[in-house]
Amino acid sequence: MEVIHSYTLQEKLQILADGAKYDVACTSSGVDRNGKKGELGNSRACGICHSFSSDGRCISLLKVLMTNHCIYDCKYCVNRVKNDIPRAAFTPQELCELTMEFYRRNYIEGLFLSSGIYKNPTYTMMLMVTTLKMLREEYHFRGYIHVKAVPGAPDDVLNLAGHYADRMSINLELPTEESMKKIAPNKSFSTILRPMDQMTRNIQDHRAWLGQNPLFERSYGNRYLPNNIFSKGAKKIGLQEILGISDQSKGQKKEELLSYQAKASSVHSSDFPKAGLSSQMIIGASDETDYHLIRTSQFLYQNYDLRRVFYSAYIPINDDPALPSKEMAPPLKREHRLYQADFLMRYYGFQAGELLTESNPFFHEVFDPKCDWAIRNMEQFPVEVQTAPYDLLLRVPGIGPKSAKRIVQSRKYGKLDFTHLKKMGVVLKRAHFFLLCNGKQMYHIPVEENFVRANMLSMDTKRIVEKGPSYRQLSLFDDFGIQREGVV
Amino acid sequence: MTIFVCEDSFEGVLTGVYDAWASHIHRKQLRIEVGPIGQREFFAEYVPVSANSEKTEKVMRSIHRKISYYAYRQCMYCALSAHKDRGDAIYRFLLLGFTYGAQVTKYLQEPSVMKVFEYSRAYGNEAHYYREFVRFSSWNQVYISHISPKGDVLSFVGDHFADRMPSEHFIIVDDVRKKAIIHPKNEECFLRFLTEEEFQSILSYEKKKDNYTDLWQTFFETIAIKERYNPTCQRNHLPLHFRKHMVEFTS
Repeated sequence: MEVIHSYTLQEKLQILADGAKYDVACTSSGVDRNGKKGELGNSRACGICHSFSSDGRCISLLKVLMTNHCIYDCKYCVNRVKNDIPRAAFTPQELCELTMEFYRRNYIEGLFLSSGIYKNPTYTMMLMVTTLKMLREEYHFRGYIHVKAVPGAPDDVLNLAGHYADRMSINLELPTEESMKKIAPNKSFSTILRPMDQMTRNIQDHRAWLGQNPLFERSYGNRYLPNNIFSKGAKKIGLQEILGISDQSKGQKKEELLSYQAKASSVHSSDFPKAGLSSQMIIGASDETDYHLIRTSQFLYQNYDLRRVFYSAYIPINDDPALPSKEMAPPLKREHRLYQADFLMRYYGFQAGELLTESNPFFHEVFDPKCDWAIRNMEQFPVEVQTAPYDLLLRVPGIGPKSAKRIVQSRKYGKLDFTHLKKMGVVLKRAHFFLLCNGKQMYHIPVEENFVRANMLSMDTKRIVEKGPSYRQLSLFDDFGIQREGVV
Repeated sequence: MTIFVCEDSFEGVLTGVYDAWASHIHRKQLRIEVGPIGQREFFAEYVPVSANSEKTEKVMRSIHRKISYYAYRQCMYCALSAHKDRGDAIYRFLLLGFTYGAQVTKYLQEPSVMKVFEYSRAYGNEAHYYREFVRFSSWNQVYISHISPKGDVLSFVGDHFADRMPSEHFIIVDDVRKKAIIHPKNEECFLRFLTEEEFQSILSYEKKKDNYTDLWQTFFETIAIKERYNPTCQRNHLPLHFRKHMVEFTS
């Protein structure tokens, strides 16, 4: 028997925001839209955060669930059907009022609407679409809307959601079919990748029809990076590799591969999500390696032209034999490293395969991925600031797209030295190991892997080694390839 | 040494730049400072400059024509910022700018170019922060907000909200400079310097709560994940001085 509570709006907001908080994608970027008389709202492509909660994450959108009633039993989720928690649902009017009033007070940039699966995926998605339609057409809201696609909802309902929303996210959650079976038994790879494929095609058709490049514009600097993951010549990670299908068995598994692809659809929507698609993966609930995760991200970026892939450190909420124990601390460091790697792929021209390899599948605990790469590739350094090409400058730890651009622009007109670099925003603490200005180093130090490693290590642990040794103590883990068990 | 002392306003600073230029004194023999002056130097002549909109316009126009739009924007941001030597920075930047033209903004090796670049960047960042962290409270269908920024970001923020909420009445008050952007529904917004009386009466509205303040606070507290508690990260993104007028931190 279902007990029906009548909650106040405040209680509902608390229950439904609580259910939505583990979702990480909270960005409001990607669309420029001006305001209009008689309506409310505009949107800026840079994205606008409105507050930061006590965990340091930005609050940009009103992130709530339509309802936290759910028929699915995903092991990691608070809202799984087996959990005994208060359940509530917003009516479309309540949600529209709340969004409009919050927006007027400049609390939020728009609405992030997700939902538990109520009754069935189609019904849930229709409920969300109804809300969005009301918000756009009756309340005349022109702000940002991010909507979650419910896996299993039909194509035309998804298209309709894309018509009203600016961004749509289709969450992969787990990067392998196996762990999905284990942890999210009601979902499968094909129910996620197929709608993703369908929405991507829809967006590309529309953009081509509008005379734009079917693929989304990427950061400006990428045009100077010959081998970035979005360039035409870049090596693509295909569906086969992600699914682990070898070339020999490709013929037999043709049927299976087809189930991941959208059929040419006869349904055409009148509009599309202008800020594209995003996705999310949970880190640490299953036993994938970092290497596997960033390869999956690269696959998603290259095949579905996603704008962002988000990573969410798994926070143990439920007790279940399929999950890590409840005492486990959330793998925040690992999540951070994955975001760093993700940005390296999107803005710095790195490929997943350069950052990690099959034999070295986890990120270093102390060094960020870029430092780690630079230390492993010491033969490419030091680089001369006056003459180095943009793409190599960008690979120096401590130099980012902005400072690299400033260096390239200003060095035409005169010599640069380290004080100039510092003012331009280069982090010399890390960069000086790898740079030469007019043929000179900042300090007279050997450009050698062990020396740099020892010094950077002491820098990050805040111990000062004046003259670091060029020898080092052997490490069981790094030098003999011994893996710690249960490393997350 | 001749020191031009200009008023602490956008027009004041640019008039100072104009007068310094027009005085034909060598650049090493003059300096521009923003008043009020604290301790005076012994061997300097102080020339007071009063703000003049015509001279301001002339300066802005020639930057736009002779250098570039980008330099124009940088100078404007710099003049609106709160640094004491902003007038001097603009003056020295323009000395180079009128010689080299549009490419001058890329000469970051030059200390004067770097200074204008830094000041305008800081101003731009602050203005963007205020776009994010302004909070309105509703009173009789009028949305009122208070800010106390370092730089003079009011018009920048006002423009943003005029585009965002064209069909609402709203007022944004700069508590430091005692002026306000007032936007009547479906009309152009305008700037107004508030009298002390007006300022005091508008100040009293900040304390009043409206119905959605509590809801917002509930949301703000619920959305944080306890297991990830990290106030340092929060403070990096949202420094304490911005929180003065933000409802989620004040009540």
